[in-house]
Amino acid sequence: MKKEKTKLSRRDFFSAGTALAGGVAITSVLAGYDGLLFAAVTPNAKGIWYGIGIDINKCIGCGKCANACKLENNVPQAPFYFRSWVEQYTIKNDGSIVVESPNGGIDGFKQSVPDKDIFKSFFVPKMCNHCAKSPCTQVCPVGATFETEEGIVLVDEKYCIGCRYCVQACPYGCRYIHPDKGTVDKCTLCFHRLKKGLKPACFEICPTKARIFGDLNDPGSEINYFLKNHNCMVIKPNLNTGSKLFYNALNPEVR
Amino acid sequence: MEQHLQDLYEVLSKVDGYVYPNEIELNWSILIVLYPYITGLVAGAFILASLERIFKIRILKPTYGIALLTAFSFMLVATMPLVSHLGKPLRAYEIMITPHSSSAMAIFGFVYLWYLMVVLFLEIWFDYRRDMVIWAGETTGFKRFMYRLLSLWTTDISPKSVALDNRIGYIVTVIGVPSAFLLHGYVGFIFGSIKANPWWSTVLMPVIFLFSAMVSGIALVMGIYIILSKIRRQVIDMNCLDTIARYLFYILIIDFTLEGLDQIHRIYVAEESFEALHKLVFGQLFFTLFIVQGFFGTILPLLTLGTFQFYKPRAEIRKVIYLVLSVLILIGIFFMRWNVVIGGQLFSKSFYGYTSYKVGMIGAEGYLMAAIWLIVPFLILSFLLWLLPPWKKIETDHGNLEE
Amino acid sequence: MPQHIKRLIIAFSLFLALFLVLRQVLRPESFGELGHFRAKAIPENAMRPMHYTVTDSCTKCHGGIRSEKDKGFHKNLKCEVCHGPGLKHATYAGQFKNGALPDSLKLYKPGERKDCIICHQLNAARIKIQFDTINTTMIHQIDPVKHNPGDPDTKEAFKCIDCHSPHQP
Repeated sequence: MKKEKTKLSRRDFFSAGTALAGGVAITSVLAGYDGLLFAAVTPNAKGIWYGIGIDINKCIGCGKCANACKLENNVPQAPFYFRSWVEQYTIKNDGSIVVESPNGGIDGFKQSVPDKDIFKSFFVPKMCNHCAKSPCTQVCPVGATFETEEGIVLVDEKYCIGCRYCVQACPYGCRYIHPDKGTVDKCTLCFHRLKKGLKPACFEICPTKARIFGDLNDPGSEINYFLKNHNCMVIKPNLNTGSKLFYNALNPEVR
Repeated sequence: MEQHLQDLYEVLSKVDGYVYPNEIELNWSILIVLYPYITGLVAGAFILASLERIFKIRILKPTYGIALLTAFSFMLVATMPLVSHLGKPLRAYEIMITPHSSSAMAIFGFVYLWYLMVVLFLEIWFDYRRDMVIWAGETTGFKRFMYRLLSLWTTDISPKSVALDNRIGYIVTVIGVPSAFLLHGYVGFIFGSIKANPWWSTVLMPVIFLFSAMVSGIALVMGIYIILSKIRRQVIDMNCLDTIARYLFYILIIDFTLEGLDQIHRIYVAEESFEALHKLVFGQLFFTLFIVQGFFGTILPLLTLGTFQFYKPRAEIRKVIYLVLSVLILIGIFFMRWNVVIGGQLFSKSFYGYTSYKVGMIGAEGYLMAAIWLIVPFLILSFLLWLLPPWKKIETDHGNLEE
Repeated sequence: MPQHIKRLIIAFSLFLALFLVLRQVLRPESFGELGHFRAKAIPENAMRPMHYTVTDSCTKCHGGIRSEKDKGFHKNLKCEVCHGPGLKHATYAGQFKNGALPDSLKLYKPGERKDCIICHQLNAARIKIQFDTINTTMIHQIDPVKHNPGDPDTKEAFKCIDCHSPHQP
């Protein structure tokens, strides 16, 4: 009871403080966030509310998803622009961590640490988390990036001014400035495919079905089955981004 | 384009540890370093001017006009580095048309216009109106036209209307001080509110930005005053200069304390990002943070100015030292902005590695471009000093108004 | 009110009026309909061109290979995993007679060692054996340096497809 009260007053305090500080959105303060629990109580109770699941145990690091993403979405081929990429984490016996992602994993991985030094090693595919309280849409000064009703974060190419504030605000490094267009670019969860009833390219192409996605509002959906039957976690839950990209078997070392 | 890719490949080959692939390109370059730097100079110069006007420190009178015009000149340029850095500069107007209320950056256009038009412009206008009317009668040609235009073709310079001007000017200054705080504290908030970046994300950021802004603005006006007096072969008012230096000393202490507090807090709480930032500070940022910003930009001026509070060398020597200090402080604060803006992008948000930054010479984001945006305000200032020389004004004692 | 204040107010009002007019004129038409963004950006995003085809569209012409593949280890793989995006191919290739297919419509035919080791190179992060129920993926891995590196006489590297059919490895 007491706890409830302090929570409320803190909330009020934050609301007043942020309003004073320049009318900064308070949505992120109002809804509680607990990694996985967040998926169970979805903010948007009506319609489709997309969530993504990636099973780290199934990923073989072939990089086909990163490659397919680039080809499907005309992402520049140079290794500085990715909507989706794969990282290899290697925890060594001495406790140090090696992270690699040569060309985002598109050309495959060469094991750089000898077997005898490895404590464990695994692949982590990365992509936009399509956060429900996304820090990137919060900071866009003109409203050129936004969340759709289905919970997909999109970019309005024709309206983006290229200020790069959203690139700074994304904790996951999922945005880049398209070198030819001068505007920001990011994963759209293949919105153009979704709207035709198709799966996003990376989901379509994954040879081991390590990636699934679906409607978090539908209790029978694949994503809900995945979340219920695996130990899932999001990356950087402490940042309260409302991430909807859930990983099975995510090590806390992954950032 | 090709050059850009080549540079990126070079950066890629130098990456230390692991950075997200999209982080290899450093997104906010030297131009974004200039933005808080220039707005800081504006806010600082204005606050120095208001010390004379509101707080009635009349000994600062010789720098009042210079400070105002300096603030105005830099304010005119403040948005230029930002706009020239945009991926789509022609769309910059959108920030005024559809400002996003939750974005810290969106309000900038309005804060900027408010400060430029309502505070700086009005204060200068009311301060100079009588003189412009008089000068319009004494000059011909372009100058006469400018005076007429700027005074909006008014002619009324009766003591009553001048007294009114003076009163409104005072009110504008009173509004101006919180506005200056708002302008620069707000620039700090743009960085301080990015929770993804632990180097930026601190509540102290707006306050630190504000006080470092005051330091840099006051140092700038001090330097300009010394140089201007040399050029005009006028005797420098050492009382005025010593007073500026004293205020500089006080604010420098606050600034140093705040930044120290920020760092001590970081070290003591040692959050998840601590090891990554520690390596950054003692690695790539060591020279700009400890040597330039810390030693030459803060500690050396602090010690010198502190010594001057007890022991004052001859005026000639003091003058030179003040000039040197003002340059040192200006460089120091520039690198303070550098350490914040560039430093915040050198480490990966994964905390597993570091990228690097090399400023090119040419191109939209090279240092020539940056140099232009630093030189242009001085050209504007020269023009304004030619058009509206504060030393030719009829003396109005701002202090008398409220007494 | 003194004359100069009046003029100043007029100047500022003009400025403000100009701003308000511009604001009205320049605001994009569908802005704000669904939130603080251009509502039309949603259909624009949905209209982007596709490159990867719909699942199963290969069977129409390549049914034989497909059924061969479905019997082997690669049965769960879509054709485009190895052959690349095929929407253009699937849409237009039917118009051309055998052999007349223009290069722009040809799909990638992987056959080099590098194509196979992208998945099958030995790597500590790839699960080698199915040792419990959680790890459901098993993938055959080879060390490309040791696994039949090449002809001992000619020094020419073997291709994986010399021994393994990619459709039924």
